This record gives sequence, structure tokens and C-alpha cells, in this order.
Amino acid sequence: MNESWDPAGPAVATRAVTKTYANGVRAVRGVDLDVPAGEIRAVVGENGAGKSTLMKLCYGLEQPTSGELLIGGRPRVLRGPASAIALGVGMVHQNLMLVPSFTVAQNVVLGVEPGRRGRLDGRAAVEATARLAEEAGLAVDPLARVEEVSVGMRQRAEILKALHRRARVLILDEPTAVLTPQETEDLFAAVRRLRDGGMTVLFISHKLREVREISDKVSVMRAGALVGTVTTADTTERSLAAMMVGREMSLDVTRAPARRAGTTLRVRGLAYAAPTGQPLHGLDFDVAAGEIVGVAGIEGNGQTELAEILAGLRRPGAGTVRVGDTDTAGLDVAGHRRAGVGYVPEDRLHDGAALDESIADNLVVDRHDRPPLARRGILRPAAVRAHAERLIEDYAIRTPDPSVPVRALSGGNMQKVVVARELSAGPRLLIASQVTRGVDIGAMRFMYERLVAARDEGAAVLLISADLTELLALSDRLLVLKDGRLVGRFDDTTGLTEKGVGLYMLGVEHHERAHLTAGLDDTAGSDGTAGPDNTGPRDTGPRDAGSGDSGKATPE
Amino acid sequence: MTTTLIESEDRREYKATRRRGLVVDLSMTLATILAALVIGFLVMLATGKDPIAAYEALLTGPLERSFRVGRWLEDATTLTLLGLSVAIPFRARQISLGAESQLYAGALAAATVAIFLPLPPVAAVIVPMAAAAAAGAGMGFVPGSMKARLGANEIVATLMLNAIVVRVYDYLVNGPLKEPGSSAVHSEPIQPDSALTPLTEWLGIPFGRANVGFLLMLLTAVALWLLITRTPLGYRIRMTGSNPHFAEYGGIRVPRAIEWSFVIGGAVAGLAGAHLVQGVYGRLEPGLAGSLAFEGIVVALLARNNPLVVVVAGLFYSYLRAGGDIMEQQTDVGTEIVVVIQAVIVLLVTAQALPDLLKRRLARRQAGTSHKRSGTSDKRTGASHGKADAR
Repeated sequence: MNESWDPAGPAVATRAVTKTYANGVRAVRGVDLDVPAGEIRAVVGENGAGKSTLMKLCYGLEQPTSGELLIGGRPRVLRGPASAIALGVGMVHQNLMLVPSFTVAQNVVLGVEPGRRGRLDGRAAVEATARLAEEAGLAVDPLARVEEVSVGMRQRAEILKALHRRARVLILDEPTAVLTPQETEDLFAAVRRLRDGGMTVLFISHKLREVREISDKVSVMRAGALVGTVTTADTTERSLAAMMVGREMSLDVTRAPARRAGTTLRVRGLAYAAPTGQPLHGLDFDVAAGEIVGVAGIEGNGQTELAEILAGLRRPGAGTVRVGDTDTAGLDVAGHRRAGVGYVPEDRLHDGAALDESIADNLVVDRHDRPPLARRGILRPAAVRAHAERLIEDYAIRTPDPSVPVRALSGGNMQKVVVARELSAGPRLLIASQVTRGVDIGAMRFMYERLVAARDEGAAVLLISADLTELLALSDRLLVLKDGRLVGRFDDTTGLTEKGVGLYMLGVEHHERAHLTAGLDDTAGSDGTAGPDNTGPRDTGPRDAGSGDSGKATPE
Repeated sequence: MTTTLIESEDRREYKATRRRGLVVDLSMTLATILAALVIGFLVMLATGKDPIAAYEALLTGPLERSFRVGRWLEDATTLTLLGLSVAIPFRARQISLGAESQLYAGALAAATVAIFLPLPPVAAVIVPMAAAAAAGAGMGFVPGSMKARLGANEIVATLMLNAIVVRVYDYLVNGPLKEPGSSAVHSEPIQPDSALTPLTEWLGIPFGRANVGFLLMLLTAVALWLLITRTPLGYRIRMTGSNPHFAEYGGIRVPRAIEWSFVIGGAVAGLAGAHLVQGVYGRLEPGLAGSLAFEGIVVALLARNNPLVVVVAGLFYSYLRAGGDIMEQQTDVGTEIVVVIQAVIVLLVTAQALPDLLKRRLARRQAGTSHKRSGTSDKRTGASHGKADAR
């Protein structure tokens, strides 16, 4: 299927490619990209810089408005992913696209099944999968059903699927977003092996440390245009970040030690039996006013459930939750909000915003029926607009007008709308879930500063994130969630490393219950007399020696 | 990825883009109507009729005599109220098809009060209407609450309720409420005080059965527009329709917003029933509403559920209905051609692709010119845009 490749030409190239969307947005402008075969090329850029659109063009999901696309050294017109696949281009999407009820092997061969006359040869599928996995160094269980395996294995299955279709170009769209540090290392090893076998890899990411680690060359995009392509060895994270945003920018957050002032959130024996998703088992923890408590864990270990229970979107099965003096366990969402709970949801597109409604309307959902926005049962558009203009100003939301629908905003800007709404309510407890997911560096830095500022003003912040760098940079204390249980508690985050926490996330290590509940009043089985707050364990020491270079956002 | 120029461009440019979008939408709607008329023209030519005479009757007929205008306004009143009644649940993204049951329930309530309850003059008009609104609201509440609280499918619930209520209505009109001693099937007439004042009486021009209900309909539309855009309840209904997960997350009680949307819609459909009883027929008749309930859905769709636009769409749609009747009387072309024209309009309007296509074209042209402006490096893209436009 790949016979028509010109061995001398670039594996993937674009010539003055421009993509203008129907709404007039120029996502990609005049990009000249040249990726020779057998190279790992990172494509970095802020959100909205056009890197995903460029990849969609290479995979046939979008057609260029003008310009030319070369695959295998020859100009091509891709009418859809099918023609890209036929030319040997494979793509692993950020949101994995597998059939959950099929086995790994069935997914890998899907569409190109071995067998004759319409009958699937199951054994051949398993063998093919196992062989590919062996060759590529991507460990999977071919017979396991996809819904039962880890996200990491699902991703490996996706890559194998591309390999099974004889991909010679592999596009990985933010592949590490869902992985633990250990899984990321394994992935990188496999990617290098593929590269050494002649595979061309396009690696999309905004984690610059990983980009530096894995890629041979880096192409930087900004505002739809290609700013430049540099050899990775010649770069630093700082220089890449500067290229991305067009100026010097760092993510270092300076924050004073937390000044705790009494318990704001008190969770005791919290349990939740989920019809779908992860159940929770007997969680006990406190969050004090004026501190940021991070919650680490591989995604899907109960973080979503915990956040939604605390925000009132789910009812706990057992246990008590108190926010300040209010017992919130039985209240609805409005009751939680009255008790002073703010919530930045993990998926802003799902429930954080009404995309087709205006920014102004999105900013008032929790306060639309109260003065000054509504008086005597009448909503006052002028007040809603003024409220929006104030928040747009305060939170540096980039938009020409409050009447712009939220859908038109970039990821980082959209998140600013959500954060502006939640923080401007002046919450006693802020649950911030994946607050920087898919936002650009500028917005990321902005979020960090705002979270620390909210903390310093006395809010209790529960920071849930899949990004350990972020957790270590921001958290005053850190909890680790695994299989719906608390397995780690670090009352002092200085000196903690990503690898050290990763071991708890994977379940290799765990803290004893007495340690987890130390200092909490009336927990079941607690001795009640444990020491003061800062008695966290320092038992992660030896393993972490020499790995203290956790990168861009180490707290100072 | 949601890249956007909106962030980088200034407010004036954004507003210009929005204005252009509006102009495109408006001209597309007009073009759609024209296209539908052209298709109707071709159909008539193909069937060997005289399309010019037919169109003369269709397009100018309703305005030729004052009583025809009255016929149009009277029809538009009912139709627009029905359009409004579904536009509100549609705003909460609830596919309510219950206008029929709500209308008949409203008609029954209005007639019962207006026939049997002696009331002083002004109350004799208002009380039956209030009863009709209440009955319609009740008929809306049943499927609304089944959807919101029990998770029943609102399409099925409203359709089944229609079937039940229409049968009950037929039974009552043929039985208990039938005028004693009359050979025709209808109820006793309502008391004269309960009738909605005909416009003829006010203006001194013969307007047929058109009545103050028309003005009440305009008031209702404005009230609903204010409700949707200017009240917390309207906000809750809009957010529920736009993204129920977001509404719930924001502390809105989504089931209650859904119920309210059904109740309000039901009340308006009930008013349509009252209009038919108190303004048009003066009594209950079998099949009072004809196919109006479902044409109300079309009107709401055409108006994109904006109450003020529903009025325009309702007026337009019943103009075609009225014109169609005249065309059938005066020429040998049947009302079927009107159905064809209406269907084509609905198809083209609901096919969102057309205006989008046009906007994309405009956007490209813009992109092309700004590329040219931005310098020589983009000549190639600019030129190719030029070519695309020339085609």
C-alpha cells in the first residue's frame, strides 16, 4: 500500500499550507514543514497555535484551504483519514478511539482483519497483535478487553493499530497527558525503537521537558504560523517557551508558606458506590483555609467522583462532608454553592460552560437570580454586561465583546471564563480540577497565580490534577488517590519528586492508615493524638536521589 | 482546536462580522423563499397550469379585500400562538409535540366557562382565557414532569397525550357538550359577552373573524421574549437547553426548568384554543385546529425559537395558507402547490449548510484579501483565493 513513496523525499511535508475555517478563523497560515523519514519531530505551540489543525491536515481530517501536502515525498490530496491511512499515516488521538467492549487484538486489527471471506480469524488477530507488540516493545495483553485495561495500554493498542495498518508516519497527539511518569518513559523507549526502525514520528505536546527528552527536532508554531524548527539538542525549555509565546516566560511560581486558619473542608468516611466509574472507599481528610491541597493519582482513580461529590453533583453513599459549618453531604448543587463551594470542573466543555451562549451569560450561572444582576424577578441585561466586562478586565479574558459565544474562545481563554466565575464568587472552598488542561503557557501561569492568590486570601483549595509538575509546584500538602482510596499523604511537599509520588500512584508504595489520618479529629480507628500538621513522612528519600530536576515548575 | 481571530481582532471588526452574519442570514432566508417559489413555478409549468395567474392569486390575493386580510390575521393569530407554544420548550431543548392536546384542553376549558358560567362583561372574556391557559399548562405539565422527573421520552409522551385528549374532545363535542336539538355536531354558542371583540367593530372595516386576539397574540409574543431574555427563569430555560450539564453544575434545578418550559408552552397553546373558541368559531367544533398544531412547530423552527421572529414567521406562513385557498378558488391550481412551496422552504431553512457555505465563501474572500495585504510571501494563497472566487 505504500509503494508509491519516494525514498529520497521527506516523509511528511507541507508547502505554504493554509487552513481557513468556515467561521473565518485562519488556524494555519502558510506553513512550510519538512520532516525527513526516521525522525522524531516535536510540534509545539500554545493552545490555538494551530498544531492540532496542522496534524489534522496531515491525517486528512481537514483539507487545506490552499497549499500543498506531501506524504512520502509526493504531493497528495487527502480526502479523509482513509486515504491518509492508505498512504501510511497513522494517528493516535488525544481521546483514544477504541471499541471498549472489544479485546485489544480485535481493536488492533479492526478494519484490516485477517481472515477469509468475511470471517475473522481470531487467532491470527491475536498472533499479529502479539508479534507487533513484541517488535515495537509495546506491552499489551491481546486478549484483554479494552474497557478493562489501563489508559496506558489503550494507548499502546492505538499505536499497534497504526502499525498493523503499516503506518510509516505516526502522529501522536499529546500522548503523555494520560500517563504516569513511568508509563511515559516506557512509551518514549518504544517510540525511539520505532524511529530506529525507520518510522517518522510527529509528536504534539506542550510539555517542553518531554519534548526535549524525546524529539530530534522541534518545530514551534505560534498563531497559526511556523516560527521555526530547531535541533532539540540546541534548545532549552526556556528558549522553546520563549519561541512559543514570543517572549520570555516561565512557570516558576513563587509562593509564601501557607498560613492555615482552621479547617474549611472536613471529609470523614466518605464512600461512594458508583453505577459507572470508580467507587470511593472511606476517605478521611481535611483542607484548611489558606492552603492548597493537591490530589495526585492516575486518572480514573476516583478524582472525578471525589470532585463531583464535593461540588454537589453526586451524592455520597456514606460519610460526612462539612464545608465550614455546613453539612453539605445532603445538599444539592445550589446548596453547595451557598455554602461557599467553587468548582472548576475537569472538562470545561462538558459542564463548565454553555458553549453557544455568550461569555456574559456563562459568567452568571450561579448568581443570575440575585442582585445586582436580577432585581424583583427581572434580569437586568445592563448589569449582566457590566459584570461580564469587569471580569473580562480582571481576568484578562481576550475577547472583543461580552456577547461573544464561549465556543469562539481558545482553550485557555475559555478556562479563564470558568475560573473568573468560580473565583469571583469568593469561595471558601475551591475545587480546581485539571485547571490547566489544554491551556497555553500564558494562561497556565495566570491560573497558578490566581490559585495562590485565592489561597492567600483564605480560600481552601483542593487541586486535582494529572500533571504532577503542577501539583508539586502549587500544593502545600499532597494526597494520593488510588482505586478510590487514599494511599499517600505528604504534609510537606518540599523535596518530593514526581517519581517518588509516581510510586504511590502506581500502588507500589502506600502509607499506613495511622499516617493518613494523623491529626484528623474523630476518624474511625484514629488514635486522635497524632502530631501537628507538618509531620509528613520523609520516607521517599533514597529512591529520589538525583532526580530532583523535576523541571519547569519546581517551587523555590 | 478552537483557534480564533475573535481574540485578536477589535470590537469594531467583531461587530462588523456579526452584522455581516445577520445580513447573510436574512438574505439567505429571502433567497430561500424565492427559490421555493421558483420551484413551485416550475412544478406548475410541468403540470400544464398557468403559473402566473396562480402566483398572482397566491401572492396578492390575501390583501385584495379587507375580509381576506381578516381571514389571514385570524389564522396567523392561532398559528403564531401555537408556534410560540412550542418555541419555549424548544428553547429548553425539549421536543414538545403536545400543542394539539394543549390547544384542545384550552378550547374545552374556555368553552365550558364561556357557555355555562355567567360572568360580568370584562371577566366574561378574561376568565375563560385564564381557564384555557391553565388547562393548557396542565396538559404541558404532565409530559414535562414525566420527562423531567421520570425520564420519559417527551416526544412519545406528548404524542400519546395528544391521542388521548383529541379523543376525549371528540367524545365531549359529540356527546355531553353537543348542542341539544341540533343536527350538526357542535356545542352551544358561547355567551355573547365572552366573545373576543372583532376588529371590524373597532376599525369599522369588515375584517371577517379577525379579533382582538391578534393584539393579545402580539402581547404574548413580547411577553415571552421578555421572559426568555429578561428573567431568571428564562435564563434557566436557555441554559438548560444550551447545556443541561452546565446548568446543573451552576446550581440550576434542571428538571424544574424543563417543567416550566412545558407549562409555559402549554399555557400559550391553551390561549390558542381560547382564541378559536372565543374569537373564531364562538363554540366548540370537531377538528377545531385542523393541522395548525403541527404547522406551529414549523413556524417555531423557521423562527429559530425566537418569540419575536415567530410572529414574523407565523404571519408569513399563514399568508401562504390564505393565498393558497384563494389560488384554489380562482385558478385550477390546488393548495397542494402551497404545500410544496412550504415544504421546500422548510427543507432549505432547516438545512443549515447553505448559509454556512456562503459565510465560508465570504470568510475565504476576506482571508484572501488580507493575505494579499500582508505582503508578497502569501501571493500564492491570495491568488488561489481569487481563482476560487472567480469560479
